[in-house]
Amino acid sequence: METRHCLGLILATPAVGAALCPFMRTQAGLLAWALGVVAATAVASGVCIHAVFAAGPLRVGELLHLDSLSAYHLGVMMVVYLLSSVYSIVYFHDADLGRRDATRYTALWLGALASMALALLSNNLGLMWVGIEATTLLTALLITVHRTPASLEAMWKYLLICSVGVAFAFMGTLLVAAAGSKAGEALVWTRLRDAVATLDVATLKLGFLFLLVGYGTKAGLAPMHSWLPDAHSQAPAPVSAIFSGFMLNSALYCILRYVPLVESATGGSGWSHRLLVAFGLISIVVAAAFIAVQHDVKRLLAYHSVEHLGIIALGVGLGGLGAFAALFHTLNHSVCKTMGFFCAGRLGQIYGTHDMRRMGGTLRSAPVWGTGLLASILALIGVAPFAIFMSELLIVKAAIDGGSILALVAFLAAGAAVFVAALRHAIAVAWGRPARETAFVPAGLLEVTLVVLPLGALLLLGLWLPGPLQRAIEEAAAVLAGGTP
Amino acid sequence: MTNLIEVVLVLVVLTDFFLLGSSRLAACIRIVAIQGVVLGTLPVLGHLDNLTLRLVFLAVGSAALKAVVFPILLFRAMREANVRHEIEPFVGFIASILIGLGSLAVSVWVASRITLPRPVVSSLVLPVALFTILAGLFVIVSRRKALTQVLGYIVLENGIYVFGMVLVGEIPMLVELGALLDAFVAVLVMGIAIDHISRSYDHIDVDELDTLRG
Amino acid sequence: MNPWGFVQVALALLLSPLLIGVINRTKAFVAGRRGTPLLQLYHDAAKLLRKGAVYSRTTTWVFRAGPIVALAATLGTLPFLPAGGLRAVLWFDGDLLVVIALLGVARFLTVLAALDTGSSFEGMGASREVTFSALAEPALLLGLAAMGREVGSLSLSDMSSGLTAAKWFQAAPAMMLAAAALLVVFLAENARVPVDDPNTHLELTMIHEVMVLDHGGPDFGVILYGSALKLWVLGTLLVNASLPVRTSSVAIDAAAFLAGMLALAVLTGLIESAMARLRLAHIPQLLVGATALSVLAIILVLR
Repeated sequence: METRHCLGLILATPAVGAALCPFMRTQAGLLAWALGVVAATAVASGVCIHAVFAAGPLRVGELLHLDSLSAYHLGVMMVVYLLSSVYSIVYFHDADLGRRDATRYTALWLGALASMALALLSNNLGLMWVGIEATTLLTALLITVHRTPASLEAMWKYLLICSVGVAFAFMGTLLVAAAGSKAGEALVWTRLRDAVATLDVATLKLGFLFLLVGYGTKAGLAPMHSWLPDAHSQAPAPVSAIFSGFMLNSALYCILRYVPLVESATGGSGWSHRLLVAFGLISIVVAAAFIAVQHDVKRLLAYHSVEHLGIIALGVGLGGLGAFAALFHTLNHSVCKTMGFFCAGRLGQIYGTHDMRRMGGTLRSAPVWGTGLLASILALIGVAPFAIFMSELLIVKAAIDGGSILALVAFLAAGAAVFVAALRHAIAVAWGRPARETAFVPAGLLEVTLVVLPLGALLLLGLWLPGPLQRAIEEAAAVLAGGTP
Repeated sequence: MTNLIEVVLVLVVLTDFFLLGSSRLAACIRIVAIQGVVLGTLPVLGHLDNLTLRLVFLAVGSAALKAVVFPILLFRAMREANVRHEIEPFVGFIASILIGLGSLAVSVWVASRITLPRPVVSSLVLPVALFTILAGLFVIVSRRKALTQVLGYIVLENGIYVFGMVLVGEIPMLVELGALLDAFVAVLVMGIAIDHISRSYDHIDVDELDTLRG
Repeated sequence: MNPWGFVQVALALLLSPLLIGVINRTKAFVAGRRGTPLLQLYHDAAKLLRKGAVYSRTTTWVFRAGPIVALAATLGTLPFLPAGGLRAVLWFDGDLLVVIALLGVARFLTVLAALDTGSSFEGMGASREVTFSALAEPALLLGLAAMGREVGSLSLSDMSSGLTAAKWFQAAPAMMLAAAALLVVFLAENARVPVDDPNTHLELTMIHEVMVLDHGGPDFGVILYGSALKLWVLGTLLVNASLPVRTSSVAIDAAAFLAGMLALAVLTGLIESAMARLRLAHIPQLLVGATALSVLAIILVLR
């Protein structure tokens, strides 16, 4: 069997796994099954990712295509999914969902994995869109695992806003197809890339605008982010973790796919880059404003997602070193945010609220999760030596190199505001006085691992970037810059 | 033949206006279904001289979906959620029609400024597509009921369907099927959502879904 | 000048009350009644003209002048009114504005006379009449403008005779829309169902009838005849727009036109039998909808 046939496995494993969910009997069995399927998918992905970085892109016909950019994102996704699947077991340990809801949860969980993988692996831009739209629909029902009025409201907003947004992305896809109608099979990314000179530039640009707004809605870029804090705060914590840890990135990835096309077609004018910088900065500034007034810990983390997706967009927009930094930042943010939601979710269960004014003293009552939350917020606001600090530093450097002083100033000012505002929340939650006395809650080995592992990785990456990872990110950044890997 | 296509396109515009100006929920669901059927004929009319099995299959599929499956789902949701039959808009019906007229003018103007990379069967297709998209968006933002928002979403999808026909005569079958399936699942999921919402709230007025903010 | 146009004016003067008779007979037929005679309106008008009038002491000369001036204004439109392929007595570029303005004058005087009575019911009717007319007028103007653009002239006679079958079918969608808009205007302006019910006797729901409650005797006869004429005028515009029979033979054209008017009267009767009156709050929706149709027609022909 050739390695490239593993690509099919990455899609088929979670899909089949989801289909088999109704045959499981217990909630524990279902969650374990989900973990097993995710692990199997991770193995298949690992094989493919290794092959891509060792021997170049994999292709199956015109449909599937894995180059270094998608392989890198695939890697990030599998890390997030593996961690979150383990965490699901912890999170739902004391909560009985009932068999029906547990089945639904697991099937949708795996289905969402399959659809995001489809978005990543597809060489056909139309199928990529199908993957993202399917993600929206599958994850919508994940938000309402705890069926409260607030979660229904969040689901409705998520469903409607993202469906409409993604519909715009479909218009953009069609416009790109029209722009490339001379290039033959108009929606195949590799063909478009090879025939970039024949693209109709005006139509392509118009299409990119639609794509940016459409996928940008799903990626939570401001001002299209309004669904995001609601959905993130109302979903159960493992779902919030995959939302923030990778679903946003998968939508942003779709935008990134088009950036090299637009840039080569316009002769490297930097038109799409400037748009990304603008949306990135708006997201950072808007998020900073909302972070300052936030009291709900999960909403706080959600707005951090808006901010950090904005930073990634900014990095890609700055180009050169910025693209490298942005991709590095993708990994750091995903790992950190996943862990952050793990902690926020467990603390929420312990305290019975997500209101930060009422959950003080987490370091005393639940040291493991409290430390995790504190560390993740510190990392998110860019405290050294966490890896996020390094990637943000690289973005600053890229801004200076590129002479984008305005972007630099806005980024730093918003970053400083976020720093102060979020630190205030973090200190209150870590050391403050709780609204009512909470008993000490011990944590098991699994829980400790879930916090220590990502935290250790963040620290490690902040101090030392392993050679293979650096090469992988460089190759992925080269795809963004329009080179053929 | 162009003339017949134009009649169909004008019918699409009329259904849009009807949707904007009608106050009865059931009538709106039916008019959206009619729009689906009318749209289903478009690709067939556009390729009468080189009709392929695939085209007919897709046309029948999309018409059946939009004219049979969607109304069934929506009427079911309407019944189970015990929805009041009057639409309560944020923007009045007359204002809606006038805004519709404005967006029609805008669509025509925008369409006249876009140069398409390939020739189109009728110069009316692009404005109608844009107008239908705008009408769908407007219904989504200006109506109070979750069910009407779903209708707006379907109309938006219909507009994009026309738009797609203008831009790319031949969308790959797989993508087209995927898009159709997505539209179906979207309406299905929205139907489920409406069901859940009506159970917890006793109504499906979206303006009262405003506890989450900030 | 077209001297033959006077024949058409004479026809209008003679036949317009007959249209009302046809409408009423159609409604009666559908309802399974025998109905009033076809010539009932002639008898009614003749009887009323022979009677004396009673005037309230609160009214002024405006009240007396109203019906007469309104009739005069309506009569004034007749020389500009072509019948299918047959030209009117007079025509010039923009005469359609004259016709619409004269109809406006007629309405204005009716409204003034209604207000002059000082009765609250009549004031209410006047207010409704003005509201709905204001909404119907753009539909009428734009619908005619769409036709004018298609033919390339703003004279009713040119428009009507230039609208050949070939031209009509070439722009069929636009012409159908314009005709639909004109049909709505026709029903609204002539106080027919679904906008107003000519048979209603409840002041609260009436629009047109309530304005003329205080008129009696010859004045009321004049009003009845004037509204029959108005029905003819607007009906002519509608038939001209929707029935493109333009041959070189005067006889065929004239026959087609008269058949069209008759068919319109029957159609109106059928609509009145099939539909209920709309709620007052929904009437503006209908009229704005008609305007939307006209705008759409214009956009189609402007392309």
